[in-house]
Amino acid sequence: MSQADLTIGHPTGQTLGPAFAIPTKKLAMWLFIIADTMTFAACLVAYGFLRNGTPDWPRPFHSITNVAIMTFILLTSSLTMLIGLRSARAGDKAAAFRWTMITAALGIVFAFLHIREWMGLIDEGMTMFKNPWGTGLFGASFFSITGLHLTHVTGGVIALLVVGVRYKGGRYNADDIEVLGLYWHFVDLVWMFVVPLVYLLNLTH
Amino acid sequence: MTTAEDHKSDGIGKDLIVYVCLLALAGLQFVIAYQNIDASQMFTRMLAVACIEAGLAVLFFMHLWTEKRAFLLFVVIFTVGVLLGMQYGWTDSFRMVTGTPFAK
Amino acid sequence: MHDMSVHAGQHHAPPTSFIRKHVFSLDHKVIGKQYYALALVAAFIGMFLSWLMRIHLAWNNAAIPGLQLLSKTGAPGGVMTPEYYLQLMTMHGTIMVFFVLTTAPFAAFGNYFLPIQVGAEDMPFPRFNMMSFWVTFTAFLVLMSSFFLGDGPTLGGWTQYAPLNAVGSVAGPGQGLGVVLWMASIALFCVGQLLGSLNFITTTLDLRVKGLSLMRLPLSAWAWFITSCMGLTAFAVLMPACILAILDHVAGTSFFVASNLVINDQIQPHSGGSTLLWQHLFWFFGHPEVYIAIVPGMGIVSHVLLANMRKQMLSQRTLIYSMGALALLSYMVYGHHMFVSGMNPYSSLAFSFPTLVITIPSTIVVLIWTFSLYGSRLRINSASLFALGFISMFVSGGVSGFFLAQPSIDIMLHATYFVVGHFHLVMGVAAMFGIFAGTYFWFPKMTGRMMNETLGKAHFWLSFVGAYCIFMPFHYLGMAGNVRRYASFVDDYLQPLIPVHRFITVAALCTGAAQLIFLYNLIHSRFRGEAAADNPWEATSLEWSTATPPPFDNFGGKHPVVYHDPYQYGVQSSVGDYVMQASPEQVKSDNEEK
Repeated sequence: MSQADLTIGHPTGQTLGPAFAIPTKKLAMWLFIIADTMTFAACLVAYGFLRNGTPDWPRPFHSITNVAIMTFILLTSSLTMLIGLRSARAGDKAAAFRWTMITAALGIVFAFLHIREWMGLIDEGMTMFKNPWGTGLFGASFFSITGLHLTHVTGGVIALLVVGVRYKGGRYNADDIEVLGLYWHFVDLVWMFVVPLVYLLNLTH
Repeated sequence: MTTAEDHKSDGIGKDLIVYVCLLALAGLQFVIAYQNIDASQMFTRMLAVACIEAGLAVLFFMHLWTEKRAFLLFVVIFTVGVLLGMQYGWTDSFRMVTGTPFAK
Repeated sequence: MHDMSVHAGQHHAPPTSFIRKHVFSLDHKVIGKQYYALALVAAFIGMFLSWLMRIHLAWNNAAIPGLQLLSKTGAPGGVMTPEYYLQLMTMHGTIMVFFVLTTAPFAAFGNYFLPIQVGAEDMPFPRFNMMSFWVTFTAFLVLMSSFFLGDGPTLGGWTQYAPLNAVGSVAGPGQGLGVVLWMASIALFCVGQLLGSLNFITTTLDLRVKGLSLMRLPLSAWAWFITSCMGLTAFAVLMPACILAILDHVAGTSFFVASNLVINDQIQPHSGGSTLLWQHLFWFFGHPEVYIAIVPGMGIVSHVLLANMRKQMLSQRTLIYSMGALALLSYMVYGHHMFVSGMNPYSSLAFSFPTLVITIPSTIVVLIWTFSLYGSRLRINSASLFALGFISMFVSGGVSGFFLAQPSIDIMLHATYFVVGHFHLVMGVAAMFGIFAGTYFWFPKMTGRMMNETLGKAHFWLSFVGAYCIFMPFHYLGMAGNVRRYASFVDDYLQPLIPVHRFITVAALCTGAAQLIFLYNLIHSRFRGEAAADNPWEATSLEWSTATPPPFDNFGGKHPVVYHDPYQYGVQSSVGDYVMQASPEQVKSDNEEK
């Protein structure tokens, strides 16, 4: 039943067919992405608003190594997701499962690097409300935005594991992997905005 | 299911090209970060590169390119709307510093 | 998976246990009724709060018997403190805007009728739908729980302006935990509405039966679709704003508090945030929200009027485009709530212009209604009366919008009772009338029984006259300079206006009492009303071509096929002056828009 209640109710041929020829689940994921875009946009507006309004905005980041590695890992995970989807489409279940798990593993590495970076910053004295370099808003907006992104990554990893296992067990099919892939690429896409705005603009020169 | 055939036909080569382009653009962000320009200029350039990056990801990783054109158009218009909507907030933020809005 | 759905034929088997049938039900019809019940309870609580507020405004030192039982500190001896007045006002606004005006016309009727009007068996994601209601219900409980805090609920108004929403209990009673609960409640509410919107959009786009092109959708379905598009994008902005405000409370951040702020003679430890940021985030949601409240009403009213005037709308297409234009423009005007925040005159202009432009689609909608009504033989019943009342309220309240849209006039009228009168008429009472019209119209389908017409008409006339008696004087108060959100007007230049306030209070008490007629009618008709036919109003859309009340899968295992535009009234057919959408019969004067 859990599967049946997520599928479209009509027998084929009874409806006009899905809009834009996109399956309903995929459309729902696109709609979720649209809502999530608004959420991230609101957070970035808040960050930009506060940053513009604060003359002594700190620029404490020295090294780009960590964030560069994180970017590389996340981008690569998008590629492995695509390979997984391709395998699923080609009917190669084992490969699709393997690539999905590799994607999840890359997500875990990303989250690990991220948390390690957080720990480093906290050790340097940065918290949600104060930091050694200037206005406390820096820590607040940094932790909020990257935290929201990290939440998305964590959720994505869990979803990858669940969908991967269920796909292997035959409950989910290639369409479900594609829907999840949309989400995962979106998480990657958000990172493309987070890196320049939150990290690179706050780099010490 | 509907787009399975399209996906199979053009192989993994295109994905790899897009992936390399994305890596290059991400690298470009880091180059911009070390340019000796003021923050607003840096912001504009970075945002532009990020938009191109995101566009590539949406079009090819999220397969928007092979969806119906009407849907592509909708997503583009929506994105432009969001980017314009964000300007409402950002442009109003300078009055906190200068006391006069839009006067940076 | 797809094979499974073909064999299963429907999402889920009819539930058998009581819990799955009536409490945690996946059936969109049950969820719709649950939303309606929630809105009904919320509306009466909100109305009760407004009674207390009005009594306090008119008779400032009068003890309200028993009020001390509600709050010992807020109303010692039954006399309201100014802070308690503000707390009641905040809760009144929050309950009404979120839990009545959003849930009733959009979530309740939309849930019940959108899938039926598109000919579907259920929404595509019934579990999300169930979650949507229960998250909203939890949000309501969280909000209500703040009444039981030691210092009561928050007093910041439904807009929860910064910095008072972020500094904690130093700003007044209820500003500590009360605000956190408010923010948590609204963030939950946003999640619930996002899930709902997701379902609404996919239902409309993907589950339409054969023959039901988008332009053949009934206007009510269009209204719900447009509203869900707004809900999807607007609530997604309010949710992070609420979470940031919670962080200001619990994590010591200062997103919304400026440096060196002194409140109640205490310098605040926060540093560097911006009070304006909250206004930007809140109103980016806030303005679409008022259209989320009113657009479903427009759809319901068009739907009800068409069935009663027995002719087609002047142009259904223009009406749909106008509602769409309202939705789009609602994202470009939010700055008109911030004219007095010290905006650059240029940005005031940039917000004022689209605000004036938004009156154009509103006016088009009203003109289409009135010119369609012209020359029709309107069937007068409770539903059509409330639909007419909606138009009247929408026009009366909307006209003052022309004034408020202009910065130079708005600076005078901002935060006066003029604004209160404006939005109560145009989105409060009008949307309520839309809810009433929908209730009288769809009650037979939802319960299988008719509502009492005599009581319904009495309810209409008392509410109609009463609402004008309450809210028209608000405009005069506003022009006289009567500021809003004050607990008393006794010791200054506003003293001479007290008789007006007393008149309003009496009118509010009477109009509120008239709502008890509705409540009685609703409950009595539910159990004792006369049995309703399948199509008591001789209406055309799909909900009337199924049994009353609809079976579990809406159409009894069959799938309707649509042959006509939604409103084929005033034609010659075998059943009378109308053709059902699902009837294959071809009629002579089938003047469909192609």
